[in-house]
Formats: sequence, C-alpha cells, structure tokens
Amino acid sequence: MTSKTVKCPKCKNETTITGKPGEKTQIICPKCNSKGVFTFPIENTESKTTTDSFTIEVNNLTKKYNNFKAVDNVSFNVKSGEIFGFLGPNGAGKTTAIKAILGLIQTDTGQIKINGIDIKEDEKQAKKHVGYLPEKVAFYNNLTALQNMHFYAEMKNVPKTECKPLIIEMGLEDAVNKKVGKFSKGMQQRLGMAQALLGNPPILILDEPSGGLDPRGVALIRDKIREMKNKGSSVFVSSHILAEVQAVCDSVGIINKGVLVAEDTLENLRDRLNLKPKLVMELEKVSDEIINSVKKLEGVEKVDVLGVMLHVICNPRAKSKIILAAEKAGGNILNIQTMEPSLEEVFMKFTEG
Amino acid sequence: MDLNSIYFIAKKEMMDNVRNLWIIVITIIFAILTIAMSALGSIFSDEWQGLGMTVALMMSIVQLLVPIIALMLGYAAIVKEIENGSMNTLISLPVKRMEIILGKFLGLGGVLSFTILVGFGLAGIVIGIMVPDVNYVEYLVFIGATILMGIVYLTVALFFSTLFKKRSAALGGAIFLWFFFNMILPVILLGIAFAGASITDIMSGNAPEWYYAVQLVNPMTVYSTLVTLSFGSMPTAMATPQLQYPEFYTSGLMVLILFIWIIGFLSLSYWRFYKRDI
Ligand SMILES: Nc1ncnc2c1ncn2[C@@H]1O[C@H](COP(=O)(O)OP(=O)(O)OP(=O)(O)O)[C@@H](O)[C@H]1O
Ligand SMILES: [Mg+2]
Repeated sequence: MTSKTVKCPKCKNETTITGKPGEKTQIICPKCNSKGVFTFPIENTESKTTTDSFTIEVNNLTKKYNNFKAVDNVSFNVKSGEIFGFLGPNGAGKTTAIKAILGLIQTDTGQIKINGIDIKEDEKQAKKHVGYLPEKVAFYNNLTALQNMHFYAEMKNVPKTECKPLIIEMGLEDAVNKKVGKFSKGMQQRLGMAQALLGNPPILILDEPSGGLDPRGVALIRDKIREMKNKGSSVFVSSHILAEVQAVCDSVGIINKGVLVAEDTLENLRDRLNLKPKLVMELEKVSDEIINSVKKLEGVEKVDVLGVMLHVICNPRAKSKIILAAEKAGGNILNIQTMEPSLEEVFMKFTEG
Repeated sequence: MDLNSIYFIAKKEMMDNVRNLWIIVITIIFAILTIAMSALGSIFSDEWQGLGMTVALMMSIVQLLVPIIALMLGYAAIVKEIENGSMNTLISLPVKRMEIILGKFLGLGGVLSFTILVGFGLAGIVIGIMVPDVNYVEYLVFIGATILMGIVYLTVALFFSTLFKKRSAALGGAIFLWFFFNMILPVILLGIAFAGASITDIMSGNAPEWYYAVQLVNPMTVYSTLVTLSFGSMPTAMATPQLQYPEFYTSGLMVLILFIWIIGFLSLSYWRFYKRDI
C-alpha cells in the first residue's frame, strides 16, 4: 500500500488517498465534490538482483588423462557480476577445466565451488545456478527445438513459457517446430545459447559460444552476454576470438598447456607486459625536425617512421602533446589513429614457447 | 534424490520410444503371436487352446523375443547420449547421475512392461472370449514373471550402455549378451549338469542340491521355473521334458533371484556411470 496526497484542481483542497501500485482510484473532493481519477504509479520492481555471492571458485584443479595433465594445478576466481574470459591455444585445457566445474569429469585434485557450494558435496544445488553452453552442442535430434527446450525447462524447474520467446530471441523463429536433427551447426549453437539462458541463471558458462556462428549470430551472443551482465549475472566465457573477448570481458585468465599463466583485468595485463598504445599519424611530409621534436617529449618511448606514417609508442597521456609538437615542427597531419595494444599481443606474449 | 527429475527423464525416455513406433509394432506382434498360438492349437484339437496351453506354447518364443526387445531398448540408453553429445547438457542440469540412471531405467522399464502387458493382455482377452474356463490369475502371473525377466535383461543392457564409448560397440555387446544367455550359458550349465548327475537322476529330482542351485545362475531358467511353478505342472505339450524340482525351488526364491539381478546390475550401471568422464 502506498499513500499519496493529492490536490483538488478546483478548490485546491488537499486529501490523502491510499492504494496499491497500478491501482486506479476515484477521488471525490470532500470540499467541493468534484470528481477525479488517480492512478498509483507502478514501483520500479525491476530492481537488480543482488548476486554478490554468485561466483565460481576453482582451487588447485588438476585433471589427468592417463598420465597426461590436461589441467595442472589451476586456480582462479570469477568475481560476481563480471565477464571472465578464459583464453588459451587449442588443447590448452579450457574445455577440460569447464567440464570439471560442471562435474562432467572426475578430477584428480582440487576444489570447485559454485556460489559457495562445493560441487562434490551438493552438485544438484550448485548446478541450479548455472546455465551452460557446451563446446560441442548437441540435442535430442528426434525432438523439435521447442520440445527440447521444454525438457530442459522441466529439468531446471523453469516455466515452459520461457522457451519459445528464447528460441525466437536467438533468431530461430522459423525453426521452433523443426526437428533439431535437421539443424545446421550454427542453428544448434543458437539453440544451445537459448538453453543456457533458460531461467536467467546468475552464472553463465559458455565454451566457445561463437563456434559455427555467422557474424550476426556472433553479435547476438555478445549482446546476450552483456545483457546478462547487466542483469547481474557472472559470465565465464572461453574463446579463441580475441577481439570478441576484448570487447566484452572485464577479466581474463590465460591457460597454456594446462597451466594458468595469467589471471587479471585486461588493463593490468597490458601494464604488466608493458604494452603501450600506439599513435599513428599520417603526415604530408616527414622531416627530421618533426621526428626529433616528438622523440624529445616525455612519455614517448619509441618513434618509427614508415613512409609518411609516424608510429609513436607512448603513454596515453602524451598523445595530445605529440600532435601539438608535430604541428609546431611544421608537420601537416592528414590523419590520426590510436591503436590500443590488442589482446592478441597479450595472448601471444603469455603463450609463446 | 529428486522424484521430479527422475520422472521427467523417465517420461522423456518413454515418449521417445512411443514416437519411434517400433514399440507399438512389437506390442501388436506379441498379441498376434499369442492369439495365433492359441488358434493354431485348434489344429491338434478341435478348439482353441486355453491360456495355460497357450503359455506353454509361447514360452520358447517369449524366451527368444523378450530379451531381444529388452536389449534393444537398453543397450544405447547412456552411450548414445555420450556419443551424440547431449549428455554434456544433461549432466550440467541440476540433476544427479543417480537420477539419470533411475529415470532411464524406469522409463525403459515402463515401455517394456507396457509392451508385454498390453501385448499379452490383449491376446488373453481374445482367447478368454473364445475359450471357456480361463484361469486369469495364472495368466497374470505369467505376464508378471515375463515383465520381471525382461527387466533383468534391460538392466544388463543398461549396464552395457555405460560401459562403451561407441554406440556400435554397445550394440555388439548386446548381441553378444543375447548369445551368451541363450546359447553359451545353457551349454555350460548343461555340461555341469552331466558332470554332476545322470539324466534319470535329474528327471526324478534325485540329483544333488548344488546341481539345482547352479542351474539358477541362468536368469532364463529362473524365469521358466517361476512360470512352471505357478502353473502347477506344465501341460505335456511343452517342448522340454518335465523336470522334478527340488523343494527349495519356490516361487519366492525365483522372484528374489530376479530382483537380485535387477538391483545388482542397476548398481553396477550407476557405479560405472558415476565414474565416467563425459
Ligand atoms: N577424453 C580425453 N582423453 C584424453 N585426453 C583428452 C581428453 N579430453 C581432452 N584431452 C586432452 O586434454 C588437453 C586439453 O584439451 P581441452 O579440450 O581441454 O582443450 P581446449 O583448451 O578446450 O582446446 P580447444 O581450444 O581446441 O577447444 C588436450 O591435449 C586433449 O588432447
Ligand atoms: Mg575446448
């Protein structure tokens, strides 16, 4: 119940009325008897779900296949509400680590907690909070997309009414009642994402979500990841497409040959590797004077000349000074571009050798 | 344990098989065969055979067919989902592996029971109309025993479906199983029989007790013993000569043995599946 004081438009008499949000009330002014209608405003019930505790904690995880360590003493944490990118070359152990988190494989050592619940102690409770898109998505081929989703909705205890809208959101409106056996790889991937999103899970685990998707599908997945983050979910995503990860991730973990070689925010990783942004200027004419005046500036590390292009590796704050200095030295700047060090460079640095 | 998860998996397993239609075809085949057996009996005598006689005639067909159906139903239950990849998603759902095994077992068991019950039940009703004085209780015991025997083979098949990496290997395993239970095991037990007792001793029930005990290793023997015991003595048309059973051969013991098979292989299936990397 909320109460509200309203003023009669005719006689300016004030009365207090009470009602539920969204309720329409007839008001009769006690003084002058004029009638009016007041609708109580609907409160903004869409408050962000607080998911502070919804995280993935992995401690000292080791998984051996025969004697080969696919994952070797790996520990990391996914903070609540963040998008965590899990990177590594082919065969690094990403899928193996993800399978361990979900209890798909037996582990040799280590502890895994989802939302504080040890997966070995109460796997059912732990998995309740997770939506998962496997690397090799597969469904029941004899069932339609909708029938498949209905089964997963039953198992997740989610209303079946969520199914169809999700299938449509993932761009499969023409295939709702088509058998999944007739789906293309990309269509299965889209349905897999719809399945993972069932019930708005506070934790989303996606193993190479862009696999087999066209550019529009890739963009769709990226939007969904952002949308889930805005709803307060934590997203754990393994990927090869570094530009993708760079565009959405807050933190990254890099795994190589089963060993976690880095875990940090992207910015910190760049700093640690001393990767600086690059300023690229196209000049009408390059002269020694220009080069020297730029080189002298504080924050400038390196200047390379490629024809009429000046590549300056520098501190981000020095950019405007560089431009001014170049112009002062008589340079006519035709075009300016800044290049942030890409995740690719970070990735290569950590996984070389 | 969560009954809802078990129920949803069982329901899906049933629906899959019903959608497949083959299980409906088999139900009809059962009914037709049974009715045909009864009607064919009229060649030898002037009228349709009663249910007891029909059961006796049916036994050998049932002993061939029911294991095949059970093995076909169960051999791929787990391995097909692992091979195809849908097991990844299934296990990621809030469900325990125990619930997956039980759901599959109950769903497939339901399909098998339904097939046997409806197939033979329909036939029983038809025969009941044609023949006076039918003992339905005995016939129901026969149906129940057949279901129990079918479920034994189903759990063995379920175990095999947790054992292999490839569906094709599991199929090979299931075919081997059928041969083993129908051909190899009986020969082994027969060998033991001749080593342990003479034919006349066996026929008259004078063989040592351990000999009779060893025969119960074969679930099919347990099943046919159970049916024979409940029908009193089998009509003479039965192909195998009438054995004299020792005193410890009771219906209760036979049912117990079949249950031990079921629980044993269900446990083995769970144990294998639990330890398995997907
Ligand atoms: N079932 C298995 N049996 C034996 N070895 C395995 C098995 N699964 C994975 N491996 C090995 O473990 C290592 C890690 O594999 P994993 O699938 O985790 O890599 P990944 O990082 O996901 O690679 P990709 O980027 O290609 O998907 C590989 O060397 C792989 O050969
Ligand atoms: Mg992988």
